[in-house]
Amino acid sequence: MERIVGIDLGTTNSLIAFIDGDAPRVIADPLTGEKLLPSIVSFLEDGSNVVGQEAKARATEHPLTTIHSVKRFMGLGMSHVSEEDRLRYRFVETQGSGDGIVRFTLLGKFLTPPEVSALILRELKARAEASLQEPIKKVVITVPAYFNDSQRPATKDAGRLAGLDVVRLVNEPTAASLAYGLDQKEEGLIAVYDLGGGTFDISLLRLHTGIFEVLATNGDTRLGGDDMDLRIAERFVFPLLPTELRQDAQILRAALQAAEQAKKALSEAEETQVVLDVPARNVRATCTLSRRELEAAVEDIVMRTLGPCRQALKDAGLEPRDIEAVVLVGGSTRMPLVRQRIGAFFGQTPLTDLNPDEVVALGAAVQADTLSGRRRDMLLLDVVPLALGIETMGGVMSRLIERNTTIPTSVKEMYTTAVDNQTAVDVHVLQGERELVQDCRSLARFKIPIEPQPAGVPRVEMTFMIDANGILNVTATDIRTGRERSVEVKPSYGLTDEEIERLLEESIDFAEDDVSKRLLIEARTEADTVLNATDKALQQNATFLLAGEDIFIRSAMQDLKRAYEGDDYNLIRDVTEKLSEATTPFAQRIMDASIQDALGHKRLSEI
Amino acid sequence: MSTVQEVRCWRCAHQHQAMLFCPACQAIQLVPPQADYFSVLGLPRHPALDEKLLARRYYELSRQLHPDLYQTGTPQEQEASLNNTALLNRAYRTLRDAVPRGQYWLELHGEQLGKENNRVPPKLAALVFAVHEQLEEASATRAAGKADEAQAELGHIREDLHAQLSQLRAELASNFSQWSENETQPGLLQALKTTLSALAYLHTLLRDVEKESEASWNV
Repeated sequence: MERIVGIDLGTTNSLIAFIDGDAPRVIADPLTGEKLLPSIVSFLEDGSNVVGQEAKARATEHPLTTIHSVKRFMGLGMSHVSEEDRLRYRFVETQGSGDGIVRFTLLGKFLTPPEVSALILRELKARAEASLQEPIKKVVITVPAYFNDSQRPATKDAGRLAGLDVVRLVNEPTAASLAYGLDQKEEGLIAVYDLGGGTFDISLLRLHTGIFEVLATNGDTRLGGDDMDLRIAERFVFPLLPTELRQDAQILRAALQAAEQAKKALSEAEETQVVLDVPARNVRATCTLSRRELEAAVEDIVMRTLGPCRQALKDAGLEPRDIEAVVLVGGSTRMPLVRQRIGAFFGQTPLTDLNPDEVVALGAAVQADTLSGRRRDMLLLDVVPLALGIETMGGVMSRLIERNTTIPTSVKEMYTTAVDNQTAVDVHVLQGERELVQDCRSLARFKIPIEPQPAGVPRVEMTFMIDANGILNVTATDIRTGRERSVEVKPSYGLTDEEIERLLEESIDFAEDDVSKRLLIEARTEADTVLNATDKALQQNATFLLAGEDIFIRSAMQDLKRAYEGDDYNLIRDVTEKLSEATTPFAQRIMDASIQDALGHKRLSEI
Repeated sequence: MSTVQEVRCWRCAHQHQAMLFCPACQAIQLVPPQADYFSVLGLPRHPALDEKLLARRYYELSRQLHPDLYQTGTPQEQEASLNNTALLNRAYRTLRDAVPRGQYWLELHGEQLGKENNRVPPKLAALVFAVHEQLEEASATRAAGKADEAQAELGHIREDLHAQLSQLRAELASNFSQWSENETQPGLLQALKTTLSALAYLHTLLRDVEKESEASWNV
């Protein structure tokens, strides 16, 4: 059974875990023993890059060539990028509409968020391969439950670009519940509150007899510890600096790091020093920060998580007191303020038995175990976080699938034409809870080709299927002919299949394990074997050849030798096959003779 | 009414009565798309159903059909698992609550809510006007800066609507229990339509109340 590992591709840190015997375990860096890989990539002048701790160390000195929190940009378009973001990153500004997938520009290279994420995934893959001493191909990757249908395919694309087969995307809070359920054999209603570096999720689940059923989920994919760091920097560090330095990328990066450090320290201590130190720029500033000051500064950010909690409870038809256990996930839940506010909201002390940084990766490993077929006692029933629909007349979104619908789910919709001889119907797929198209997220547009007929005559049935990854697939069936065709969906803010193929081809270290090269080598090896065997038979057993057979076989050998020089492995295989066929009667005769021979000898010995 | 249909197993060609798993080779079978939601869940085709049994069946079938269990299977198995689970999820979502179940029951009898139902019963129209008037008052209270008072007013409207809701749900349950299995009863069908349409109005009103209530929270 092929091993599948679990990956938590986080905003701040990423982890990789596997099932060790019966229990999930996070794989540490074999050299440093570190379990968390900072989700940071830094690009060097020579075209190479470093990931993780090394990249973090370069961040202050090279702020614009070091990418932090790339997860915040997954599946987004340029129109979603804020002014704040533009201070910290350099983007390719697109012409015209100003939209299209986000692209970072780094040392003359243009990179999309999935490409940057792929570098983090490669690092995790290498770590696991070094530790487990086997190649890693199949993975489960976790995503925020509230990730939409642009952000999910973007995550899968990152996996493909890292040379991984992403067998499943699992929602982070759901994964965390698996790790908890495993530990405690829980039954009943639980809430998973997941506040990470950049995203917030709340999921409510019913656990019973090994089934983990998500009742409702809600969240904010742009809310997390990063926002608190920025707030601390703005409120406490910037006032210490001359105004012109506040817009400086290098100083901003250092200020955010100082803020993060102070925030972490204040989860333990009552008071700490915020230290901003950039020797290269001769900037140094310090101040004292108390936990009370910190809490007053970030309180509104923490309170913003309660709205989604209320909405999820309402959707599930529950009251806070119905929840039997509250599980805290994500580094930001280490803050006493978060624990206190969430405890007060649900009227109970939250569970923190498992390390909030590791629990998602551990759960991903558990789900990977189920998917590999080794485990059959646990089953996840997850939901789609946002309504899905299509644009109708007047810019209104017509909902096809409501939020919190259990996945997989499908819905059929009939289409016809409004004008005579129309040759296509345009479909615009949207996701979101608002009524107007302009307030929803555009997922994809496509055309369904239609044979020209009078208006209203064509009947095309579209099937919108959301699979177990929460990803949309569309098929169209012509009702008259019964013919089914797949629909080419053009993602609004994603990479097309062709773009991914091209990126894979361009990636240099991919050439080493290029599949076609491997197939070519295999085909040539096979051709060698057949050529040598034929040559040998022609020399040793020429007496078994029929008239003219010799020429026939030699011409087939010539064909193969010619194909061998080229690099078309399909052709080499075909011609090898032809040569084998050409020599089959000849080989059969040799075989028959040797059997006769063997029998003859036997008879002699019997005399 | 539905007759049991014979299908052939995609793997071993054994003929069977649209079972979920082939009786001969145990391969997962694609549920015919025209199967009704009751039969998908293995329940009698009747609107008054045992909700506990429904949930139990749903979990049992999920444990047999879910795509997670066919990750290492053949493409045919994966396709059958995906389609069956999508159908199972839809069937469960429709049947577990009396309102969508009632609407589905109408559909099974060739009827649909809101098609030719343009006439609003006078009693309902009066209710809609009354509630909207109350909502405007609550909104005015909120605008005057008395958010707590506004919430209290909304609480009263909500209570009122919920009381009517439970009454209508009781009507629905009583309607369901009067159906006999294999015949269409026009009187019951008409009554069902009336109750469901009243429920739809009430749900819309409740949504309006929630909208106003959220606005008060966010002050």
